[in-house]
Amino acid sequence: MIDESNEITVMVVDDHPIWREGVARDLTERGVRVVATAADAEAAVRIAVATRPQVVLMDLDLGGTSGVRAIEGILGRLPGTAVLVLSASGEHVDVLEAVKAGATGYLVKSAGVEELLAAVRRTAAGFPVFTPGLAGLVLGEYRRLAEAPSGAPVLSARETEVLRLVAKGLTARQIAERLVISHRTVESHVQNTLRKLQLHNRAQLVRYAIEQGLADG
Amino acid sequence: MSAHDRDPPGLVLQRAIHGRQAVTEVVDRPLEPLWRGLLVYRGLTLVSAVVVVLLTLDEFAAPGGAVVVLVVMTAWTALSAYGYLGGAAGPPDRRGRLAVADLAVTVAVVATTPLVQSPAQVAADAPVSGSYWASGAVLACALAFGLPGGLAGALVLSVALVAVSARLEAELGDIQLLVLAGLTIGFAATVLRRSAERVRHAVAEAAAAAERERLARAVHDGVLQVLAHVRRRGTDLGGEAGRLATLAGEQEVALRTLLTVGPAAVDASGRRDLAAALRALATTRVTVATPGYPVDLPAACVDELVAVVAAALANVAMHVGPEAPAWVLLDDLGDRVEMSVRDEGPGIPERRLAEAEAEGRLGVAKSMRGRVSDLGGTIELDTGPGQGTEWTIGLARP
Repeated sequence: MIDESNEITVMVVDDHPIWREGVARDLTERGVRVVATAADAEAAVRIAVATRPQVVLMDLDLGGTSGVRAIEGILGRLPGTAVLVLSASGEHVDVLEAVKAGATGYLVKSAGVEELLAAVRRTAAGFPVFTPGLAGLVLGEYRRLAEAPSGAPVLSARETEVLRLVAKGLTARQIAERLVISHRTVESHVQNTLRKLQLHNRAQLVRYAIEQGLADG
Repeated sequence: MSAHDRDPPGLVLQRAIHGRQAVTEVVDRPLEPLWRGLLVYRGLTLVSAVVVVLLTLDEFAAPGGAVVVLVVMTAWTALSAYGYLGGAAGPPDRRGRLAVADLAVTVAVVATTPLVQSPAQVAADAPVSGSYWASGAVLACALAFGLPGGLAGALVLSVALVAVSARLEAELGDIQLLVLAGLTIGFAATVLRRSAERVRHAVAEAAAAAERERLARAVHDGVLQVLAHVRRRGTDLGGEAGRLATLAGEQEVALRTLLTVGPAAVDASGRRDLAAALRALATTRVTVATPGYPVDLPAACVDELVAVVAAALANVAMHVGPEAPAWVLLDDLGDRVEMSVRDEGPGIPERRLAEAEAEGRLGVAKSMRGRVSDLGGTIELDTGPGQGTEWTIGLARP
């Protein structure tokens, strides 16, 4: 399902030079084409538009500028780009905001090189990269939205079940086995949980923009 | 969108420092406005005493003596005002000593009454030397020493009043007023000082938090990046470098956890964030998944739940292996919270569980069950040969 013959183009965004160059070299050595690097949000958007990478590896803490803003900027101009967040653990709220802004995966910086490579390939192929930590955040967000007034996205019972199992550290294969469903179905459930959250976020942004526009007019 | 609006830590620190300066006046010298008020009051009472004495000067037995007393009062008012105003800059007990001296001078002024007044004046209940001016010393004692100071000052002056007039009932009204003023101002001073102490504490805590955030940022940008890099390169190189990489990785996770989580704080209503407390348990082998928002529960409850989860994790390390991965999930269902601790070890065969229970060897499990049931929660163990183990702990939100 994941095509490894095609060269994947990647942009690495991180404000720390040692880390940025290290990741770029690791990926290059393994046949991934790193077409650009950037150190802050503004440069990330500008360079992404110029180089059009398939995958953007995004740190969220860009030395005072926001990785979430960069994600919004990039996806606003290049909606087909896949964004994988590669960030320090502990930035919970930021990670959730990044996912709502359209990132389709999250990996902690302490992940190994092979894990990173696999995540980049999955992201390029259009699959979400879920760590248990991200699943916990997304699950928490749905639980929080459930308390809110109507209009918030709701998960089906099955989607909730799948998300809980991902958060408990089960792999897609293990989940498929346990629930007696296909691997593909598991993937699509996971994908749905992200998509609903992103759509809800976009709708809210539009509503906010209209309200602001009306208020300004 | 709150993440977007979050201030950079430098700004938070700056704000904390600015805030500190703004509250310095309130915190370090909370009684300053009252001291200034006292000086105004003293000035006004001095004017009133001078006017009354000068208007009735020909009634005095010793008019010259009365004028000398007025001069002493005026000089002392000026001198003590200078001392009280400068007291903020001086050592903290300077105002206290001055207030005691003030009381002594005031008593001395009051004591001159029989020397300067004529018997007719005394018979007509003319005000004693100093009159209302004398009460200023009681207020000074109240401000300097709080409630006990105000009360003691009022009593000393009352004794002096009764001694010079030799008629208790005539002075009773004044004595009541003096005691009341001493008590009120003394109480206000004590309360203000206490609340200022509390504000000072809060400001110090905010500054410490800002400092920790600043440190976290510095370490995040430097040490953590290098450790993460060493870990990645070392793992690639293998051998000795690989072992170094493992060590670097462990330190990276530990440092990151310490900086980002810190000790989970208790809020004003005694609640603690269970999510943050559980995230502090994360290591290279333990993955913790929680909501992104705080899950606040009573602090004691959080401590117990974390202890139970930690016991389950320790059990995994002991029975499955020190490197065995484990997963912790906190699910916040609104009216209840649910935690799960899972491993992928060999699991506990039914027979062995029963055996262990029969021999009373199931210490860990028993203590976990005990702790959870003490909280009024539920705990279940799901296991089987080759299935790993999963503890599920549920608790209705207290």
